[in-house]
Amino acid sequence: MLKNHNLKVHSDLFKQYTELRVQENRELNISLIKGNLVRNTKKSTGGVSVRVNNKGYWGFSSIPSFNSDGIKKSIEQASYNANFLQSKENKTKSTFQPSNPSFEMDLTTKKTKFTQKQIMEYIKEVDSYIVNKYPKLSNREVHMQCLDMEKKILTSDGASLFSMLPRSIVYIALILEKNGEPVRITVPFGGLGQFEDNFDSPRNLYEEIDKTYNHLLKKAEAIYAEAGVKECILDAKLAGILAHEAIGHTVEADLVLGGSVAGDYLGKKVASPLISLVDYANEYDGKMCPVPVYIDDEGTDAKDVVIIEDGVLKSFMHNKESAQHFNVSPTGNARAYQYFDEPLIRMRNTAIVPGKSSIDEMISSIEDGYYLIQPSNGQADTTSEFMFGVTLGYEIKNGKIGRAIKDTTISGIAFDVLESVSMVSDEMNWSAGGFCGKKQMITVGMGGPAIKSKINLGGR
Amino acid sequence: MNVKDTLRYCINSLSEAGVDKSQTWLTNSKKYELNVDGGEVSLLRTTLDTNLKVIAIKDNRKGEISISKVDTESIDKAIENVLKILETSEIDEAYDIADHQEAKTFKSGDKEIDLDKMYTQLKNFIEKVKTKFPKVNLEQVIIEFNRIERYLMNSNEVDFRSTTGTYDFTTMFSSKDGEKTTSFNYTAFSLKDLERELMDCSSIAYLLEESVEQLNAKPLEGKFVGDIIITPDCLEGFISYYNGIFLSDSALISGTSRFKDKINEQVASNKLTLRTNPVDEGISKGYFITPDGFEAENLTLIKNGVLKSFLLSQYGANKTNLTRSKNVGGAYIVDTGDEELKELIKNIDKGLLVSRFSGGNPSPYGDFSGVAKNSFYIENGEIKYPITETMISSNLCDVFKNINGISKEYVDFGTAILPWISVSGVTISGK
Repeated sequence: MLKNHNLKVHSDLFKQYTELRVQENRELNISLIKGNLVRNTKKSTGGVSVRVNNKGYWGFSSIPSFNSDGIKKSIEQASYNANFLQSKENKTKSTFQPSNPSFEMDLTTKKTKFTQKQIMEYIKEVDSYIVNKYPKLSNREVHMQCLDMEKKILTSDGASLFSMLPRSIVYIALILEKNGEPVRITVPFGGLGQFEDNFDSPRNLYEEIDKTYNHLLKKAEAIYAEAGVKECILDAKLAGILAHEAIGHTVEADLVLGGSVAGDYLGKKVASPLISLVDYANEYDGKMCPVPVYIDDEGTDAKDVVIIEDGVLKSFMHNKESAQHFNVSPTGNARAYQYFDEPLIRMRNTAIVPGKSSIDEMISSIEDGYYLIQPSNGQADTTSEFMFGVTLGYEIKNGKIGRAIKDTTISGIAFDVLESVSMVSDEMNWSAGGFCGKKQMITVGMGGPAIKSKINLGGR
Repeated sequence: MNVKDTLRYCINSLSEAGVDKSQTWLTNSKKYELNVDGGEVSLLRTTLDTNLKVIAIKDNRKGEISISKVDTESIDKAIENVLKILETSEIDEAYDIADHQEAKTFKSGDKEIDLDKMYTQLKNFIEKVKTKFPKVNLEQVIIEFNRIERYLMNSNEVDFRSTTGTYDFTTMFSSKDGEKTTSFNYTAFSLKDLERELMDCSSIAYLLEESVEQLNAKPLEGKFVGDIIITPDCLEGFISYYNGIFLSDSALISGTSRFKDKINEQVASNKLTLRTNPVDEGISKGYFITPDGFEAENLTLIKNGVLKSFLLSQYGANKTNLTRSKNVGGAYIVDTGDEELKELIKNIDKGLLVSRFSGGNPSPYGDFSGVAKNSFYIENGEIKYPITETMISSNLCDVFKNINGISKEYVDFGTAILPWISVSGVTISGK
């Protein structure tokens, strides 16, 4: 619908550097908890936003309307806001280098759209499979989240973008009670694409559900991890969150300007030579990444950012303003979540580049440590000290997988952890369901291989 | 259509379509937001937002939809869609809307922004930080004026309107001295007006001072079981985890809560009284109406360690045959104790003052572990030095059971009022 919106008719109103964006986010959420339909909602949030720059000072305005009158009022209000700040601060910064790329990306499914009834039947069939096959479960949850993010952008430099970026995810949680203690594992499915693209048949999920149940049986007998620093294998499913939380945030240029320790490390060796880390704009190995960005929300051509190459810190992620500060080209990392959000420096698809070891030889190389498989939430820091939760893991004793461990949290100074990396596996696993919070939420992709390193675990 | 006509139009349209019950919300919000990046005021935002939420129930099936455009065409389409959602819903007798209540209008806070005053207060804050704490980097400061009007009507003739105006402040900062960088820290608070200087509000001055001290942080060596003092900034996170895992709809519907049959039983230290008071005079940013359409009331969750209430919505209560809670949480107040903070510190042989917790989501049983950020090592009753790379782990149930003392002092965040709490039996592990 927004594709046909003619933004150029409003360009006469652009008196200063201006970004005009119309955007609608459409969500469908369904949640079954123990078979109870606790959520069955549709939501659409849309409108226009305008950002204006007056000699380095930004004004922003948004309203929940797409009509011409609303756009005119938004341009006026954003201009007023930029002028208000400029007059108060009374400083002048230089203008951005003009750029005017143009791109259209419409990832609407080419398949026949499912009806609401068909989607609900799919979810119920998955739930029925779980409850019938695994009657010993004390609880199960099936959550579905679909998000279509559609936006159209025009800047005063002439850059333009139409983007329809869909994501559909199903999360399944299996819960078993052991001696009065609930034990839980969650498994995600899906990623880039609408529901029809990712979820042909419920049967496609069953193999992974079965594997998850087997892990759950072992987790029901789990022990606490031993607190302290241990040699660990971080599975490929964890590598993405390591790339994102541990390193990614420290090299977002706005955080570098805010005092991130990475600001002192540019051009220096910060990791094992086995480590290369890239924020991919849109493609990896010839395939589209989970969150493909071709032009960002400031109208900049999106490029891959090679953050670490063979252990050396090479570059930061930028928007137009930070690129100007560091006297480099913007990288296309400026992204906004809702129509009423301004673009911020955000990661896109951040990944550690695969190496040459096999996961089996990595496990067999550890005498006393842990194999950590499934992540939960995580957080970064300006010091590069990161943490993230681990909801599935096992002991490694004398090169062999041992008992499962209870939920734990791992942490470390990212650059120290990456310096301790001694093996990197040859696989690449993309996590496509992630959201990152930094003033606003945003969809992100995270990926990587398994790595072997020393890391601090919480436990007893 | 004006707001009431819009809501009536929705209810009448749904009634004509044959639904048994309907509930509609219309929220109009206006935000003015000043942003500081890298120590400089760099962005002024003005955003208008509208949200219309429609719930329809027919034959014990439920549909829910939210839209931001409220022209007649968009509303008609939303009503058509909510009926489709409803048709695909499961039959569940627990679905319901709020019972009839007297029509009421609620108000709190300023009606209009004083933009010049907000700008001046923000500039004063930045200048004070530069003067008093020159090693502090203000990574981000945001001050907003949020004016929110909410209207609720339903087919049981509920007719509520609430209007709130708050100034909401958040900041994230760290300290830097040469190549030494501290962990970032952050805090947030809400105010009904801008009469006081920002530096004098909440815990901000205390946290900035701590941030500078943390330039000399060092890793803690070894592992031991000790005491921790949870600061007010850190405590709200633990309360939210606790309520989510033990008291919420999902924990009770799924049956995973350890407290499912513990009402009126001792579940925590008798030193602990925890309230959720959204309409308390002392709370600047509470709420008047619950999301399921009832007038919010203050509620004591735990009194002297005894569990007095869950946090159940109408649906959760119907589903579990328990009592609906008077509110849905937030606006937490923990009753202060009878010791000064310095006495709590003095009573600790070996432990930590934990100012921020960065951890993985706790397990459904309440086990948690994570990093003690912006924290200090305590030994023999004295704060010794700031620490890095130190993890803590315990169980949420045990944390609230093993309370040694609660401070006389408290911090008013506007969204919560919380003291310092000293807790024993926590595993503390360094490098």
